Amino acid sequence: MPGPYKETDLTERVEAFLSDLKRGGTGAGPLRGSAETARETTALLRKITAQARWGSAGDLMEIIRKEGRRMTAAQPSETTVGNMIRRVLKIIREEYARSRGSSEEADQESLHKLLTSGGLSEENFRQHFAPLKANVIEAINELLTELEGTTDNIAMQALEHIHSNEVIMTIGRSRTVEAFLKDAARKRKFHVIVAECAPFCQGHEMATNLSKAGIETTVITDAAIFAVMSRVNKVIIGTQTVLANGGLRAINGTHTLALAAKHHSTPLIVCAPMFKLSPQFPNEEDTFHKFVSPHEVLPFTEGNICKKTDLNHVPTFGKSFSDLDISSLSFFFFLNTSHFSLRISGEILSKVNVHCPVFDYVPPELITLFISNIGGHAPSYIYRLMSELYHPEDHEL
Amino acid sequence: PAAAAVAVSDESVYRSASGLSGRKGAGDQEEEDQPLQAVLVADSFNRRFFPVTKDQPRALLPLGNVAMIDYTLEFLTSTGVQETFVFCCWMASKIKAHLQKSKWCRPSSPNTVHIITSDLYRSLGDVLRDVDAKSLVRSDFVLVYGDVVSNIDISQALQEHRHRRKMDKNISVMTMIFKESSPGHRSRCEEDDVIVAVDSKSQQILHYQKTQGLKKLQFPMVNSCIFGSLDEFEIRHDLLDSHISICSPQVAELFTDNFDYQTRDDFVRGLLVNEEILGNQIHVHVTKDGYGVRVSNLLMYDSVSSDLVRRWVYPLTPEANFTDQEGHSCTYSRHNVYRASGVSLGHGSQMEENVLISCDTSIGANCYISNSVIGDNCIIGDNVVLDHAYIWNHVHIASNVEIIQSVICDKAEVKEGVTLKKQCVLAYDVVIGPNISLPEGTVVSMHHPEEEEEEDDDEFLSDDAEVGHRSDKTKQKVFNPAEVGAEGKGYIWKASSLDDTEEEELSQCLWGLVLNPDPESDSEDSETDGPDDPVIPSPEMDDVKVFHMEVLGTLQRGLEENISCDNLVLEINSLKYAYNISLKEVMQILTRVVLEYPFQQQGSHLTPSQYVALLLPLLKKWAPVFKNYVKRAQDHLDCLSAFEEHFLEQESHWAAMVKVLMNMYELEILEEEMILRWFSQGATGDKSRQLRKNQGVSTV
Repeated sequence: MPGPYKETDLTERVEAFLSDLKRGGTGAGPLRGSAETARETTALLRKITAQARWGSAGDLMEIIRKEGRRMTAAQPSETTVGNMIRRVLKIIREEYARSRGSSEEADQESLHKLLTSGGLSEENFRQHFAPLKANVIEAINELLTELEGTTDNIAMQALEHIHSNEVIMTIGRSRTVEAFLKDAARKRKFHVIVAECAPFCQGHEMATNLSKAGIETTVITDAAIFAVMSRVNKVIIGTQTVLANGGLRAINGTHTLALAAKHHSTPLIVCAPMFKLSPQFPNEEDTFHKFVSPHEVLPFTEGNICKKTDLNHVPTFGKSFSDLDISSLSFFFFLNTSHFSLRISGEILSKVNVHCPVFDYVPPELITLFISNIGGHAPSYIYRLMSELYHPEDHEL
Repeated sequence: PAAAAVAVSDESVYRSASGLSGRKGAGDQEEEDQPLQAVLVADSFNRRFFPVTKDQPRALLPLGNVAMIDYTLEFLTSTGVQETFVFCCWMASKIKAHLQKSKWCRPSSPNTVHIITSDLYRSLGDVLRDVDAKSLVRSDFVLVYGDVVSNIDISQALQEHRHRRKMDKNISVMTMIFKESSPGHRSRCEEDDVIVAVDSKSQQILHYQKTQGLKKLQFPMVNSCIFGSLDEFEIRHDLLDSHISICSPQVAELFTDNFDYQTRDDFVRGLLVNEEILGNQIHVHVTKDGYGVRVSNLLMYDSVSSDLVRRWVYPLTPEANFTDQEGHSCTYSRHNVYRASGVSLGHGSQMEENVLISCDTSIGANCYISNSVIGDNCIIGDNVVLDHAYIWNHVHIASNVEIIQSVICDKAEVKEGVTLKKQCVLAYDVVIGPNISLPEGTVVSMHHPEEEEEEDDDEFLSDDAEVGHRSDKTKQKVFNPAEVGAEGKGYIWKASSLDDTEEEELSQCLWGLVLNPDPESDSEDSETDGPDDPVIPSPEMDDVKVFHMEVLGTLQRGLEENISCDNLVLEINSLKYAYNISLKEVMQILTRVVLEYPFQQQGSHLTPSQYVALLLPLLKKWAPVFKNYVKRAQDHLDCLSAFEEHFLEQESHWAAMVKVLMNMYELEILEEEMILRWFSQGATGDKSRQLRKNQGVSTV
């Protein structure tokens, strides 16, 4: 009987995923591809559906909610995890409703009824249906296929938005935007300006990738965004999350960019697949931000005090002195570095607070258009998409 | 079995996703297939945190409300270690209990933790010898202490290490991980300051020296051919030892072979000295990124805690709750303020910046808190000022208290109107106050410093801290209200004795009971001394003198403890090798020591008859020792010449000489023939001629 064996295998996988989420961003910079996270989450949820013990849709939803709470708590800033859990919950609700014979439309009650009834109660999901499991897994598979195709779907729309000889600005590195621009470059010639996005400078990587695809690319510093904006026809950016009010949680520096675009009346287009759409509002302060190690802003080492080149000549004239006075040694370092830069004393770290936030909030009024895998939408339309994707009861896991 | 296969492959997927991309090399499949192992030493083998560590082992002290060992285990797990051996000694049961409760011992943990406890471990050397004896490690392993906080990605160092090992088999035995950090950086521990000379190309360590307490450093640049033959090398003082090292299995073997290696420093020194003979090399890996610091004293505790709160150790931040403890999740808000659930904050209280407050702690009105960490279930009154305060769990702090840069352990109580100046430590269950001000550097514990000394004489811990806290102790075992307040409970361990003449940094380093600035040299001394030595030789003494002392000590001990002559011979032989003494010298020194022995014991005012009475039984007892050494003709002559020398110095005892010589003859230590030969040989001085004459009469 492989039952208990499967169970431990499953918990092992969940634990591994959780610790992976917690450590998210140690190795490959603070941003991991959210598309991968979305796929991994969904695959894991499929595994849970297939292997966990549950009798009715209600049990399954409870299990998924429980695991989901842990997953979202592991890395609150990674909203795609929560989004995928909500999508799967919605799938279970739909499949259950279909098994019961009621159509999906019947669930959509009138406004008056919604107000008076006080919402659906969980008791409704207690009925047992044998084919439910297979149906749910089938639907999750469809979701996975949809996830696979998102980037392509967005990229396909590129020709409608990018015209010849345009100057496009983007910031940092977004896989979606990269695919979007590359797709347009097959037919059109245009110029891309990439803001480097310090301190992580993902923009450099973006620029390299674009120029490899034959796109004329310029890298600018973040501080030069406003100055360059007057020449830009369009700003195309990616985002980490699309919030419920149509705003963005995007890489640090995006707000500056959006304000500059607004000032110059440059359209700002956001390429965001649907799985980035989150029912979260920007007022939930504690989970909104992500602060990483300030190492990138102010190196822990405080400048390379002991330069290799400084010391290389020591042995050449120093063969005769085998004794080195330690006080003169540090003084020696001091002298040498003072030529290069102001020496920051070791005490600075205890006196100065260094922060390294990863995300920016961009309010919806600065955004012109969202391009998702199902087409273009205005920020004001996001609430509608939200109600299509997620069940209102699942907003709070 | 099918499910098992799936599990394994899934795991490898996750691991490669977490940044260990280089683990699947095609060529070295055998090496790679071995799961990465780690040896975690959950004992410091010193008492820097005393008396706090009397109640709780250091590895379990909370740092940012999480036990230190959890940081180390998390670090190991995140680098892909699959099997960890935790070695515990001091309070092993507590560590064991902690680990068994933690997530590391759950079946789903990707890192299997084995706990190995023994009371016999006295040093890192003992642990590694045990690793070798039990043959626990199969391939390269990570060696780390239980109080290291790190997020360094060592996968690259690991790859380099494996590459080096593949290139020339078994030459490189250890890769030490260093972090770049300029001198004077607050995360650099004064005690661990090192200067390292490294070959720029191969990253091989050429010279390694601790700089602590040294004004001058010796570099063997001229003498050593190693330095001469290199194109380029670096001398670096900007490195911070993270106390993480990647070791080959030979490291454990080398520790077994060299039973005198106690610490990693011994090992490194020994290996560098013997490099040409044994051909083992040590390499370094210098990293710029990441964070890796060992909490080796309270000052480091302070700086690591504040680094943690300031998120330098990301992703090991307080709100990540990586230990998966129930109810320990906290929220993070701006200015690095972390609050767990159930925290209540009174009206008008301010949490300025870098504050971490764990669950169910309540804080009164008008408090001002900055740069502090507060544990679970603490109750803090009104108008309290906390700055750089580290308050552990279940602490009660009354109103109007001011605490600056101090540590307050579990269940301590601070009554009204108390002021703790910088660098105070209140150990477990201490009560202070009311209305008292503790001076800088006060340490209060429920354990009396006296009882400590009585109990712990046989304790393994190096007794460097012992020297200091004798200063102000109170003989009587009652709480002194002048010291701890009218309702106070606890004994002062060390009054503020910060030496103003010392350098600022050094005196700061004293926090955490580091009273002896140079514990290493101290412990070396205590090794060379026999415990009953009447005179403590200074290390500068030449070997012969030290050997003399040692032989004397050995014989003394032999007499007191009735050790058999065979063992005495063995001991003297090992001393001979330890100090590189020739056989001739051994003979002479042995003879002299024996002849001087009565003087040594009773003073030099003995009459010849008394002297003889004391010496003869001794000679009888030690005859086998002499017989062991005095064999060849030359040996006899050497022995006799020492004999002669001795009596030349002691003119008043000439009368005794004949009897002694006679006795030695009778005991068959000396042969007649040799005595006669010695006698007939030309005497060098006037006195010796006289001596011979005197003696010859009776012999014949």
